[in-house]
Amino acid sequence: MNWENVVLAMLPEHLLLVGIVLLIVLELVSDRPRGALWLAILAVAAATAAAAFLATSGYASAPFAGHFSVDPATLTAKALLLALVLPTLLLSRDDFSETRFHILLLSSVYGVCLLLSADSFLTMFLGLEIMSLPVYVLVLLAFQRPEGPEAALKYLVLSSAATATFLMGVSFLYGGTGTLALTAFSQALGSPNTMAQAAVVLVVVAFFLKAAIVPFHAWAPDAYEGASVPVTAYMATVVKAGVLLAALRLFGTTPVGRPMADLLTLLPLISMVWGNLAAIRQTSFRRMIAYSSIAHAGYLFFAFLGAGPGRFQAVVFYILAYALMNLLAFASLPRGSDDAASDRLDSLKGLYQRRPFAALMLGLAMLSLAGIPPLPGFIAKFLIFKNVIAAGYTVYAVLGLIGSYLGIYFYLRVIQYAFMSADAVSQPSNERTLALSASVLCLVPAVLVALFPGWFIGLL
Amino acid sequence: MAELLNFVVWLPVAGMLAIALIPASQENTVRQLTLWLMIVQFVATAVLYVNFDSSVAGLQFETRVPWIESWGVSYHIGLDGINILLVMLTAFLGPLVVAGAFSAITKEVKLFYAMVFFIQFAMMGTFVAQDLFLFYVFWETMLIPMFLIIGIWGGERRIYATLKFFLYTAFGSILMLAALIYLVWSLQNATGQLSFAFADLYKVRLPVQAQTLLLGAFALSFAIKVPMFPLHTWLPDAHVEAPTAGSVILAGVLLKMGTYGFMKLGFPLFPDATQLYTPLIMALAVISIVVGACLALVQTDIKKVIAYSSISHLGYVMLGLVSLDILGIQGAVIQMVSHGLTAAGLFFLVGMIYERCHTRDIAAYGGLAKIMPVYSVFFAIMTLAAVGLPTTSGFTGEFLVLLGAFNAAWPLHVAGSSFSLVMAVTAVSGVVLGAMYMLWLAQRMLFGAVKAPHLPLADINLREKSIMAILVVAVFWLGLFPQEAMRKTEIAARQYQQMVVGAPAPQRTAEGATPAVAAPVAATLGSTR
Repeated sequence: MNWENVVLAMLPEHLLLVGIVLLIVLELVSDRPRGALWLAILAVAAATAAAAFLATSGYASAPFAGHFSVDPATLTAKALLLALVLPTLLLSRDDFSETRFHILLLSSVYGVCLLLSADSFLTMFLGLEIMSLPVYVLVLLAFQRPEGPEAALKYLVLSSAATATFLMGVSFLYGGTGTLALTAFSQALGSPNTMAQAAVVLVVVAFFLKAAIVPFHAWAPDAYEGASVPVTAYMATVVKAGVLLAALRLFGTTPVGRPMADLLTLLPLISMVWGNLAAIRQTSFRRMIAYSSIAHAGYLFFAFLGAGPGRFQAVVFYILAYALMNLLAFASLPRGSDDAASDRLDSLKGLYQRRPFAALMLGLAMLSLAGIPPLPGFIAKFLIFKNVIAAGYTVYAVLGLIGSYLGIYFYLRVIQYAFMSADAVSQPSNERTLALSASVLCLVPAVLVALFPGWFIGLL
Repeated sequence: MAELLNFVVWLPVAGMLAIALIPASQENTVRQLTLWLMIVQFVATAVLYVNFDSSVAGLQFETRVPWIESWGVSYHIGLDGINILLVMLTAFLGPLVVAGAFSAITKEVKLFYAMVFFIQFAMMGTFVAQDLFLFYVFWETMLIPMFLIIGIWGGERRIYATLKFFLYTAFGSILMLAALIYLVWSLQNATGQLSFAFADLYKVRLPVQAQTLLLGAFALSFAIKVPMFPLHTWLPDAHVEAPTAGSVILAGVLLKMGTYGFMKLGFPLFPDATQLYTPLIMALAVISIVVGACLALVQTDIKKVIAYSSISHLGYVMLGLVSLDILGIQGAVIQMVSHGLTAAGLFFLVGMIYERCHTRDIAAYGGLAKIMPVYSVFFAIMTLAAVGLPTTSGFTGEFLVLLGAFNAAWPLHVAGSSFSLVMAVTAVSGVVLGAMYMLWLAQRMLFGAVKAPHLPLADINLREKSIMAILVVAVFWLGLFPQEAMRKTEIAARQYQQMVVGAPAPQRTAEGATPAVAAPVAATLGSTR
């Protein structure tokens, strides 16, 4: 084992760990710790910078061969996900002042980083669990209304079921091949062996559960609604991205054969349709976003129909566009003392009169999520469906596009409330500087990505 | 000069950003700034128009910069004979729309003019784009400002109307997206070249079956925008609920994007499928003409009359395009511009009376000629132009389209297939119906006993007079001197004809089968051929 490699390859993780330890110390020495938020931001920013630096210098190594490896593409994805944590942290100031929030969040981020570099099922399992366990507590920590604990418990139980399914699949694979390396999965993809196929299906189902694909989605609306804004934002963006990128690591660049391709399309397709239709009926913003994220998980799994490097590009691009716009939306939301009331879609009425900038940002985010050009969401959607058509699945692409069409209505309804309805309740308007900086932090990269998508794809 | 075209396209974006910096309380500054920038845009476009060389085929003032190289997408814009008139129309209506909204829009003024700039940008971009990806981006972007314009400043049922507009048009585009990806992918498979450029895509000749499906997807999107029967139901709602500026933009420019799309993309990209389905498209066009006119006849709301008349008038454009006769094609282009002018004028007039009386019910008005003489004169002129009175632009367009339709139908009739001839004859009935509903509307509003919701009624002021006077001049200009505009379009029209038909159309005069009706008229118009 080369120690230099261990230090350098895991530098982002190490920096996060340092941040976590310092936060724990801070919690111990002071009753009302100040600066916990800034310490957390500093740790994440340092980790982002480290990952970005390693990525640009073309660093690649495998400090724990067969278990953990990094290469420029992985590091780029890691840097992106870490960067997405920054606006989430900025958003959290209004809800959480306790240090434990930051400790838990950073721990979960640590799990995401591990997940992105996993080479074996062992590391992947560790990553998934380290990522998920703090989130159950985070959902509970947000406890502001009676449904909070119920949501957390639901999430815990269903997520554990996913873990069990995942382990079952992995043990099948191990039984068949005698190895825990991720490559066993891509080999099993094309294998006619029943056991290998069962293993593949079990692992895929576990990922569907974690990513909230219909019919394994039921936990998401409750968890999203029950948690508070920053936690929901974190679940909808970073956790979802982590799960998808882990799945990407599993599938690699191997083309998906026909029976698997149908499984990979059918359930995501149902997710799109169901997620988009169910979102129409919602009166809670976060619940609506939960259904929207169910639909978006569907689009993301569509990207797996394409093969080669295009798959990685499409997924990462989509995740970036989707996550930035979700965070932008969350940063623009009006926030009041009563969480349940300010979460209602009605509370958005007349937002433009009260806070024009926030309303414009919210509108932008909704249109982008709906995939309307020239916003980044459109380019991301285009990239996915371009790959699907290039892989020869034209019919699936058409169905998928029609599924995405169904989503337009409920996004427009948000804009309708924010711009076209008279002010229902005249709340005092206060521009919150931190949320504002979070919007800018999302807006600038989103604009750049929309204007120069070619440059960004070249990075991947 | 290519820089000038870029300037024209991007000026609205600069305007939008400039407006964002002005404090919301300074509403008049916003109005003045928007008006002046729009005038600058118009002047720049006029310079382009004058410098446009009508004797050269292909693109002029072209800019081509790679945008997303790995996908073969480039920022490629330019003017040709098809879009030059429409770009001119867009720039011409811009300042009028802004000036027309001065008194009507009093809430969220900043956002309104920003959205007018936004839609101006998207419309210009759609017309000048020469890259399918770029075209699609502009095409869809246009929905955003229109959605807000109808939804924020519209009438009572604005939410319903604007959602209907957005969802209707977005559905068409979603299938077009799949079709365009498939088309580009086919090009790559066939030639190894990954490109979204129109010029490259014209070279692909897919099997007829694939062409049919792709044409279907493109046509759905374009036909919704035109709108063609039976996809027209969003239009009356959108028009009635939109503020005057929205109606003018919708009728003046937006609807032409559908017909422009057919002419630039739909038909030339899929010529075999187009030829196969010409009877169907022709039938739908004629149904649009007749049904639109009949529906206009029974409306009680002034705006709805004009909205349905738009469906009827754009039916002529479609008829001209599928006639594949050079006169018909040129007539279609003229008709697009002419309808842009007359419909805009009529919607302005409706807006002016609505601002004064707050009702669009025809029955509420009567004898306006006695109390609002200037208004009534303009109303009468616009009515006659919409009817297609000779010397106005409406005549040139409709006449050429019908001429082209007969020109194309006669040889077929002689050869034993009378379908096209029946269609052409039916289309003529649209002219009669058009005269009926428009003149009847004018009669009920302008003549008879004086009747209005609010009396006394002030006649239109100087600002409104200027808007109408400018439009009237344009209407007569296009009606009296169509040669200038037709020369600009001629080469492009021939190219379009060639692309769809595959070979130059046979000279009908040489065949000795020239229809007796068409021959003398063709001779009088000979200079334009």
